[in-house]
Amino acid sequence: MDYKYINKMLAEMDKDLSSKGLSRRDAMKLAGISGASLIMGGASSAEASTEAAPAISAAKGKIVIVGGGLAGMSTAARLTLNLANPDITVIEPQALSVSYQPGQTLVAAGIWDEKDIAYKRDDFVPSGVKIIKDKVIGFDPNHNSVTTASGETVSYDYLIVAAGLQLDFERIKGLEAAGRAYSSGDNSKLLKVLGDSGVCSIYTAEGSTKTWEQMQKYVAQAKSGKKTQFVFTDPDTPVKCGGAPKKIVYLTNSRLKEAGARKNAELTYYPNGGLMFGIPEFHDAILEQFKREDIKWHYRHNLVEVELENKIAVFDSKWQEKGKWDPMMRDFEVIAKHEKLRVPYDFLHITPPQIAPREIGDSDIGSAAGWVPVNKETLQHIKFPNIFAIGDIAQVPMGKTGGSVRKQYKVLVDNLIAKMEGKKMPSKYAGYTVCPLITSIGTVMLAEFDWTVKPTPSFPLDPLVERWVFWLMKVYALKPMTMYGMLSGRA
Amino acid sequence: MQVKFEFVIYDESLDKFEQDDVVYLLELNDEQTQTYNLLKDRDLYLYNWFKESEFFTTWIKEKVYPHSIGKKIAISVINDILFLRFYFFKVTSGDTHYEYFKKLFNIFHEANWQDREEVGEQILERLVVERQELIIELKENITKNSDSQLNESDSETSK
Repeated sequence: MDYKYINKMLAEMDKDLSSKGLSRRDAMKLAGISGASLIMGGASSAEASTEAAPAISAAKGKIVIVGGGLAGMSTAARLTLNLANPDITVIEPQALSVSYQPGQTLVAAGIWDEKDIAYKRDDFVPSGVKIIKDKVIGFDPNHNSVTTASGETVSYDYLIVAAGLQLDFERIKGLEAAGRAYSSGDNSKLLKVLGDSGVCSIYTAEGSTKTWEQMQKYVAQAKSGKKTQFVFTDPDTPVKCGGAPKKIVYLTNSRLKEAGARKNAELTYYPNGGLMFGIPEFHDAILEQFKREDIKWHYRHNLVEVELENKIAVFDSKWQEKGKWDPMMRDFEVIAKHEKLRVPYDFLHITPPQIAPREIGDSDIGSAAGWVPVNKETLQHIKFPNIFAIGDIAQVPMGKTGGSVRKQYKVLVDNLIAKMEGKKMPSKYAGYTVCPLITSIGTVMLAEFDWTVKPTPSFPLDPLVERWVFWLMKVYALKPMTMYGMLSGRA
Repeated sequence: MQVKFEFVIYDESLDKFEQDDVVYLLELNDEQTQTYNLLKDRDLYLYNWFKESEFFTTWIKEKVYPHSIGKKIAISVINDILFLRFYFFKVTSGDTHYEYFKKLFNIFHEANWQDREEVGEQILERLVVERQELIIELKENITKNSDSQLNESDSETSK
């Protein structure tokens, strides 16, 4: 870890705490956690101790990693720590591929700047790892090779797919010209289409800055006394961090309250699903928060069209009706119904549909849905035993967060090395993920859970309570833990 | 103890099941009743116990579907335990069936984005395999001794 950087962040945290008459020790006591575990984001001492002395394997083989974002680069770093003679190539076209995506919500609320989350790929390439600054456009798993956009064929013994996902703005009628976007990189087409229309999205780094601009504009409009409609969407696909579509609702609410403009604003959240959150305890807590803050919601609404000129969002509104008696099943059928619903907005935040890149969905390594089908516990491809996948692109339930990757990359490295050594794969991913759900500027509900569909808190605190100390963790501790802990392959 | 059975007939050419509307009664002896009571709350264990038990397959071949060697059937009802959902599930079927199969097949339903219909398709995919495991093919009895003689109770013999 870069201790200079961590010390700087801790100094910032101390400044924030002292402005409230508290020391860091007081804050940790309040939270019932140690400073070390705060920085490690809930890592147990047992886990931390295993980090200190990784076993070095003499296994050999050429490893190619497609994608050099957080998942790909952390995996590369950990492999270099665990292999005596690593032969690792990362193929990644984006110069800012390791930018800190969890910070985009904070940029969108004017708490951070875009430069606070921009990190260069080339500053995080682990020692000895070869980088190819190109995009993989073809996969040939039967001949153990991939092809890049410039025509280079790269062969491998073992392949790790960490290619991330794409933001499918072009699927929404009216936004076709925006095309598909990645979180980082050139998203000028998207920004051009959205312009100054009141439509925005935190799902790209530049889009977060744009969201903050638009948020200020419409908060000011509400403050001027004009009734202002803030509309928020949540699509019918898996998304990076299921909490993010709600975080931007809460942050907008917070800025409106701070400006004294809340009474002139109506905030409405339109999720495609029928729940606020997949974990019942967090669903209930969020529902209460929405009621408390007078935020409206309508379940089973999927954004399908935006009329930018008229400022209308068109949703596919779905519901179910009791159908006819099924004599074979001895039960009533359930009939799905839907209709289009036109909703006027002033400010529209879009959580875009999220899909696998075409080159993966169209290849032999992709599933019908596009994602890379892996054993959800070992992360090994279900058809090609020398291929693994990790992060957003892996077909793993609830796996699309940095918190999931933090567990997955250790499992993948253990299993890949065992595979290289001809041994049984020892590690299993259990579905852990974490979402620091910002409920206002200054409070976070730390939602940690796994496939048991139950909260799995790392801290000895009620996970359903919104806490300032977790806000401090989100703002000050998680970034250094990610950028210098995970990306060095240790945390 | 008497147990009430209903069956479905499998049409291999159409890959479809058809309900046999007749209710059949089987008398269990004391030992079998004890086993039944042990397994009655675990539907597929109960199913498999019957499926693998000689007394049951003999009863089917002799009393339920006599002279039907080669016929493929499956149990649709054992007393009040319904297996109908395995053969007739549709994406429009009621929620209780979704919950049952999600648990049985360990299907993770991401309720915040995944439609019921999509989960239904996954269930149907898994059922293709599961149904084959439930099918009982009426075969001629073969004794287990080294001579491999055909069981005399069967009316047909193989050549």
